[in-house]
Amino acid sequence: MSKDFSVHVEHITRVEGHGNIVLDVKNGKIEKLQWNVVEAPRFFEAMLRGQQYNELRPITSRICGICSIGHSLASLKATEDAFDIKITKQTAILRRLAIHAENMQSHILHIGYLVAPDLFGVGSVFPLVGKHTDTVMKIVKLHRLANEMSDLICGRTIHPIRLIVGGFSLVPTERQLLHLKNRLAEAQDLTKELAVVIQSVADKLPTFTRETEYIGLTSDSEYALYDGVIASTDTGKHPAYRDYKEVINEYIVPQSTAKYAKHARESYMVGALARFNLNSTQLHPVAQEVAHMFRLKPLTYNPFMNTIAQLVEFSHSIEDSLLLINSLLDQGIKQEKPVKPVVKAGRGVGIVEVPRGILVHDYTLNSKGYCTKANCIIPTNQNHANIQLDMEKLVPEILTKSQKEIELTLEMLVRAYDPCISCSTHYLDVIFV
Amino acid sequence: MKQKIGIIGLGNPLRRDDGVGILLLQHLQTQKDYLPKNIEYIDGGTSGMNLLHLLAQFDAVMIIDAVDFKGKPGDTRVFSLNDIQNQKKPMILSTHDSDFLHILRLSQELKELPETLVIFGVQPRDVSHGIGLSKEIEMILDDLYLKVQKEIQNLIN
Repeated sequence: MSKDFSVHVEHITRVEGHGNIVLDVKNGKIEKLQWNVVEAPRFFEAMLRGQQYNELRPITSRICGICSIGHSLASLKATEDAFDIKITKQTAILRRLAIHAENMQSHILHIGYLVAPDLFGVGSVFPLVGKHTDTVMKIVKLHRLANEMSDLICGRTIHPIRLIVGGFSLVPTERQLLHLKNRLAEAQDLTKELAVVIQSVADKLPTFTRETEYIGLTSDSEYALYDGVIASTDTGKHPAYRDYKEVINEYIVPQSTAKYAKHARESYMVGALARFNLNSTQLHPVAQEVAHMFRLKPLTYNPFMNTIAQLVEFSHSIEDSLLLINSLLDQGIKQEKPVKPVVKAGRGVGIVEVPRGILVHDYTLNSKGYCTKANCIIPTNQNHANIQLDMEKLVPEILTKSQKEIELTLEMLVRAYDPCISCSTHYLDVIFV
Repeated sequence: MKQKIGIIGLGNPLRRDDGVGILLLQHLQTQKDYLPKNIEYIDGGTSGMNLLHLLAQFDAVMIIDAVDFKGKPGDTRVFSLNDIQNQKKPMILSTHDSDFLHILRLSQELKELPETLVIFGVQPRDVSHGIGLSKEIEMILDDLYLKVQKEIQNLIN
């Protein structure tokens, strides 16, 4: 087909931060196709240098309003690794609850407010309020519950305060845990109802596939979020966590201010779909049911299904949280003193799964516990190369569609990755008339 | 007197003057024993859509935040709900494409919008990446705190 057109989407909407899509087609041939990340470089590592060990967690929790719990946990794990601190069983359970709370907060936000408008064929969440009030209310209720859970475990909805080196400054009471347990049980029914609604519009998700590598944490004992070893669908497990750079190879490209990453292939994907592809057999039963509803099976090579994998994980997080709360209630929750660090020079690496994929914090501390070197690798940077290569395969397959449809499909592709481009952008720029 | 009042500080302390709302809020939290009891002080950070849920909890809300209203660094301005709803450009209060106007609209649609909502805005000088306020804002922090207290009184009365 012979046609000329350009698609220039500046600052794609319903994603966090600023990214552009550039497509130029002449005589039906693609002349230029780029996923551009245009955020200013960030300097978080520089901010950490010179800070004492107990300041690293509060600072990194401000990097992102969406993944503040994940940054906190990666930071604590890195610091505790440097000091050889072994946390208690209770702390390990509470931290798992914290990471579930964040996963639920972020996933429902993405599914409900950012992707649902595409599935219902509208431009934003507003038209949904009038036409699909019941669905919007389900989303709001589930989001609100995830916030309450975060508030209870972490002391705040975002930017947690109770997570500290060696443990928790304050833990929830038995009564509060029982209340949360009841609320989570109700939320599981609501999630199933939401899954039915999403299923009814899931045919709007493009049927596109491109084989790629998927990377995430894996564990023999659980569906890995808080702990595990790095694994790849191409190369298997990589247990030496301090050598994460053997897997995550960051590099620079001219079209982007963010770093890109690759491993066994030219690109790889991290996030909910990667975790599902690696660890789906460890999902709890209701989450398995939700996956079955959408015929989601490993290995799924369709990036648009990342949103469905998030829905599956949302359900899993509820089920796993119920089990974790039961084990806390069985053993009796108590206010433990945090494990006191013995400050010494050393290097520590903390790796967790946050909603968008693997997050690494790597600190070098001196003998007084001050940070002399830091490296933070966020998930979105690991997905940029995969987005670019997906676009390069996708566009030739949809060139016969209208320009508007091509533009929307490319925007949906980027949104499927749930990118968090500028973790700390926050600035109110208004013109009042 | 309003039944339930929320004072919400927003901003990112890793972006210099953008953290002014959080610093003022933290100061208020240390003084809350001397302030009216029916007020809750919330560090909203870079809340994004979470702001929707925060607004739902209160009858009256004051947001403290850095606002670029093209004033001199340190200038303050109080914006009413009407001011906010009548302005033309999207207001990005936080990350994740959370246009503040969208949040207000959604809150309104859900019938959860507080009866009273004001923004106490401080004109920043520097919102680049880094910890610590610019000298211009740091020097007038005490004055800003007094102005915030005055606005809280206005909100109560």
